[in-house]
Amino acid sequence: MEIAVDKIDSIAVAAVPVDELDASNAGEFKRDIAPVLQANTRLVLDLSRLRFVDSSGLGAMLSCLRQLTAKSGDLKLCGMSKQVRGLFELVRMHRIFEIFGTKEEAVQAFKTQSGKAK
Amino acid sequence: MNGHAVAAIDSVSEIEESICRHARYSLGKAWNDLSSRELFSAVALSVRDRLVDRLLETEERYRRDDPKRINYLSIEFLIGQSLGNHLHNLGIRDLYRKALNKFGADLEAIEECEEDAALGNGGLGRLAACFLDSFATLGIPACGYGINYEYGLFKQEIDSGYQVEKPDNWLAQSTPWEIPRPEQACLVPVYGRIEHGVDRKGGYNPMWMDWRVLIGVPHDMLISGYGGRTVTPLRLYAARSSRDFDMQIFNNGDYFKAVEQKIASETISKVLYPSDVFVPGRELRLVQEYFLVACAMRDIVRRFEQDHGRFQDFPAKVAIQLNDTHPALAVAELMRILVDEKELEWENAWIITQATFGYTNHTLAREALEKWPVSLFESVLPRHLQIIYEINRRFLDRVSITHPGDVERIRRMSIIEESAPKQVRMANLAIVGSHSINGVSGIHTELVKTSLAPDFFQLYPEKFNNKTNGITQRRWLLKANPALANLISSTIGERWLTDLYRLRELESHSANAGFQAEFRKVKRSNKEKLARIIQDTASLRVDPDSLFDIQVKRIHAYKRQLLNVMHIIDEYLSLVEDGRQPAVPKTYIFAGKAAPGYWIAKQIIKLIHNVARVINNDSRASQWIKVAFIPDYRVSLAEKIIPAADLSEQISTAGTEASGTGNMKLALNGAVTIGTLDGANIEILEEVGGDNMFIFGLKVGEIRTIREQQSYRPWEYCARNPRVKRVVDSFSSNLFCPDEPDLFAWISASVLDANDEHFHMADFAPYVEAQKNAGDAFGDQDRWARMAILNVAGMGKFSSDRTAREYAREIWGIKGSVVLD
Repeated sequence: MEIAVDKIDSIAVAAVPVDELDASNAGEFKRDIAPVLQANTRLVLDLSRLRFVDSSGLGAMLSCLRQLTAKSGDLKLCGMSKQVRGLFELVRMHRIFEIFGTKEEAVQAFKTQSGKAK
Repeated sequence: MNGHAVAAIDSVSEIEESICRHARYSLGKAWNDLSSRELFSAVALSVRDRLVDRLLETEERYRRDDPKRINYLSIEFLIGQSLGNHLHNLGIRDLYRKALNKFGADLEAIEECEEDAALGNGGLGRLAACFLDSFATLGIPACGYGINYEYGLFKQEIDSGYQVEKPDNWLAQSTPWEIPRPEQACLVPVYGRIEHGVDRKGGYNPMWMDWRVLIGVPHDMLISGYGGRTVTPLRLYAARSSRDFDMQIFNNGDYFKAVEQKIASETISKVLYPSDVFVPGRELRLVQEYFLVACAMRDIVRRFEQDHGRFQDFPAKVAIQLNDTHPALAVAELMRILVDEKELEWENAWIITQATFGYTNHTLAREALEKWPVSLFESVLPRHLQIIYEINRRFLDRVSITHPGDVERIRRMSIIEESAPKQVRMANLAIVGSHSINGVSGIHTELVKTSLAPDFFQLYPEKFNNKTNGITQRRWLLKANPALANLISSTIGERWLTDLYRLRELESHSANAGFQAEFRKVKRSNKEKLARIIQDTASLRVDPDSLFDIQVKRIHAYKRQLLNVMHIIDEYLSLVEDGRQPAVPKTYIFAGKAAPGYWIAKQIIKLIHNVARVINNDSRASQWIKVAFIPDYRVSLAEKIIPAADLSEQISTAGTEASGTGNMKLALNGAVTIGTLDGANIEILEEVGGDNMFIFGLKVGEIRTIREQQSYRPWEYCARNPRVKRVVDSFSSNLFCPDEPDLFAWISASVLDANDEHFHMADFAPYVEAQKNAGDAFGDQDRWARMAILNVAGMGKFSSDRTAREYAREIWGIKGSVVLD
């Protein structure tokens, strides 16, 4: 899948380009997001288009988070539909991801963090 | 009546127009091309329009008033047919009859085209359906939650006396009463594993991984209250796959595997389990129960959050009643929602949970209590098992404080049974997680306290209470027996329709010759109708003037259809061998289904047929005794059988029937009960008096003593009484199975076994005596009519309106509503 990546300052913003992220395409997503994870430490995943995610899809996002935190980076999520948000809560994943309404809020959170770090 | 106010806005011509419009535009048929079933659909859709208007009005009223909402969770709702019920409740039956007459169509014939919604096995499911009728009639803001089984309880056919099960695809022609709500579908994860991690704050965070997801699609079945003011939904969920099929597998070329996955998901709501007792180890059943619970809880929480912010207010606005333990997982599910999703502290979540749930127990048989192997539970619901372990740990800590060192008590009370394999005890979960635990008759509740859950009663005496079951008089008298309903209304007015205690006013008419004659006329007419059904379904001609002795219910050892058959055999052999005639000619009528895997029950059906074949074909007996088994017992058939009963057989072993509701339905229709002191029979006796019932048999305490002293010697009854011996010998002598020798030999052995749990031999002679008394009484027609009328008059207590009011006031804390007074 073709994952478009924007750069806002040094923060990468990638949009998940599918309506459904599940067993049928989670592997493809992991493969295609890999270069983005290699090239960045701070990533915002925009889930605005996503309408359904299954455990494979959630697992793929969890894998992204782990790869970034392993190199002291972070992943923030934004643009979740109510249904997708509900699934995150159902399996307690909302407690390990930082989730924002919009990508601007997510980017701002990264900026605030780096401001505090200075 | 409010129903007449509803009718006032309709006219016959509007109804005609509405039916024609649906025939043309909903069904796409020209009037002359309509089949009978399609005509039913057009009529039902026309009625549905009126129901939808009232549904929306009801929802608006509740939205405005913001009352506490009652949620009734039940794995079964045995609704039966709905058209006639709605027409009565909306007060528009006569208008529809007139409208249809103009088309040359007959309303009763159209009603017969409706498939029963058989989403239940027996009493538990029918109780749930009666409650929905009462909730709506009383204006109690309630919603039922259940499963939209594609196949209801099997259809029963009889082949050479054996039960044959056929699938009941009741949705094959779609039902006009359901409104699908795909936009409110919810996701239900199942299976998977727990990954133990930490959250962003460094706290323990168990994540539920590798789950499979089901989709629950609600279908709202409309429930009307009498008077038509309130229409509420019964929300039934159908399972759907998360996608049409797995495209990855499909793309890899395995089309069939892809379709199999879709089918596997949709299997969850495919079939109602055809047994009213727990069958261990059925994984699909556990998934089914969780599917119901997950869908219901998500909907309940969604509705609460629409109008309320703080979960501390949840119990003030939401009550959830668990109809037996099948939905008991809701306790763990609400804790999961509150702790995992809403991030409440455990202690707060637990207070909210306990204050929200009430649990109704329906069985005393320990072996019938639901238990799930921990390994299966962990595989299906890994997070819920964690939660249950934590509930149990905290609960047992409390027990340890109140009973330090009492290891045996802790073992008994634990939600986890430390057996091999370990099991999750659903009744213990329901008891611990609820603020109210109720039995369904006075004696049943006492037995719950003293023998089923005495440890819990000692710990939480304030939680235990009784709510004697009831039935809705709108279905079981107004709809089922319109002639008797008319006679009653013309005698005492119509207030009994919403206040069944008014039937007491019939007492003063019970000895009135004119009223008795009218009463007998109604009964005779109902018996003629049943005689035609028996002729059509069992190919047997019966005499409507004979005593109609009726036992209709699930076939089960504890209900003792066998005892009934033993008496019939005795009466038959006494007639043909001893020349002793019964006091009156009798027709013994049976109906009921046996669970497909329940060999004994299926043998009893075969026995009834074989005994019937011998007796019905013996010219020496033909003037005196007939035996009929009417196949495929269901709600709509019950509505025809029950009004025709003279004698109601309620002969379960004392201490086994939690309440029974068939006993109430039959007495309400003017049958006199022959029965044991079991379940609600005891309360019926209190209401109608010993002169108007035929009570016999061992009492609960006597049975307990016999068991404790191991003093049951069934063979001694045989030795003492040659008539008893003759009956027992008939099973081993092949009298009733000449073509299949030894078929019933097991029965002789079973009733002569000291371990016969149902004490057939001990109760046999008293039962024969009670039967003789009943026959003698029936011979005196004036006396019998008086007894029957006094049975009707005494049924006020057994309205499900009374039961619903008690639940509302005493369990759900609903106060002050006008309709409740």
